[in-house]
Amino acid sequence: MILKGKNVVITGCLQGIGKSSMEYFASQGANIWACALAPNDGYEDFCKELARNNGVFVKPVYFNLLNNDEIKSAVKSIQSDKLPVEGLVNIAGMAKDALFNMVSMDTLKNIFEINFFSQIYFTQFITKLMLRNGKGSIVFVSSISALDGNVGQLAYSSSKAALIGAMRTMSKELASKGIRVNAVAPGVINTDMNRIVPSEVINDKIKKMDIKRLGEAEEVAKTLAYLISDISDYVTGQVLRIDGGIR
Amino acid sequence: MTNVEKYQNAFCETFELTNSQLVGLKYQGVELWDSVGHMTLIANLEEAFDIMMETDDIIDLSSYEKGMKILKEKYDIEF
Repeated sequence: MILKGKNVVITGCLQGIGKSSMEYFASQGANIWACALAPNDGYEDFCKELARNNGVFVKPVYFNLLNNDEIKSAVKSIQSDKLPVEGLVNIAGMAKDALFNMVSMDTLKNIFEINFFSQIYFTQFITKLMLRNGKGSIVFVSSISALDGNVGQLAYSSSKAALIGAMRTMSKELASKGIRVNAVAPGVINTDMNRIVPSEVINDKIKKMDIKRLGEAEEVAKTLAYLISDISDYVTGQVLRIDGGIR
Repeated sequence: MTNVEKYQNAFCETFELTNSQLVGLKYQGVELWDSVGHMTLIANLEEAFDIMMETDDIIDLSSYEKGMKILKEKYDIEF
């Protein structure tokens, strides 16, 4: 178990990569603060079951990334558990697709607020908890669209690209304090977010991949676990593509 | 331990100083109080007093004396 006894904060846990990460991290022995906007049907039972089945601590934490007071309350809740925070996986995010000239400034600001500003704000607080231990690993979930661009994803791709810039700066500033900071750039992953994409678009993407299929959320979760674990002790400031070799 | 002692300890442990060196100490006044050291100081102060400091206060904490004033006025820490 590569995460045995590690205490990790994961955001965006309700579905997709976040939910798969919770499952995989718990299976690898991690204790989890499972952050989500609000509980949906069965979420708290899912957390309890995950904890029971894996013998780990799984605590649901709820907050809206658009509300700084809620973010602070969430950090206080995490802090109150008096456990050393050793990992942070920032998965929460949203996309709202539109062609460049059709993106309103309100949409752009809203996407940046959720995908970038709030994540940095939350990470500032969590980083301070990590500084107390002199050790930690932070991973941002970016996207290949941040690296390659993608038609119709100006707001999403630019906000995810901003995360990569922040990650690289943070990795330089925090390395001397024992904190590593990395990002992953998933490609086309089989999640609800991509189920609304027309099948011809998906099929066209698959044709451009070396591995001719969509990625699975668990495959992203495994890479996240690697970056949070001590196996990647000498890895910082990196963006790992998880995209089946898309070109 | 008194609050003054907790406050002094946070500075001494973070910047490897003695109590006699604290009065008049300013940001970047010693080698270890750089931007990264500043975050470690904040982490140590937050842990010592069980508080979460606002970003504006973190930026504003520019000296030993200023920090004490901020903690007193904004976080109800009595010295």
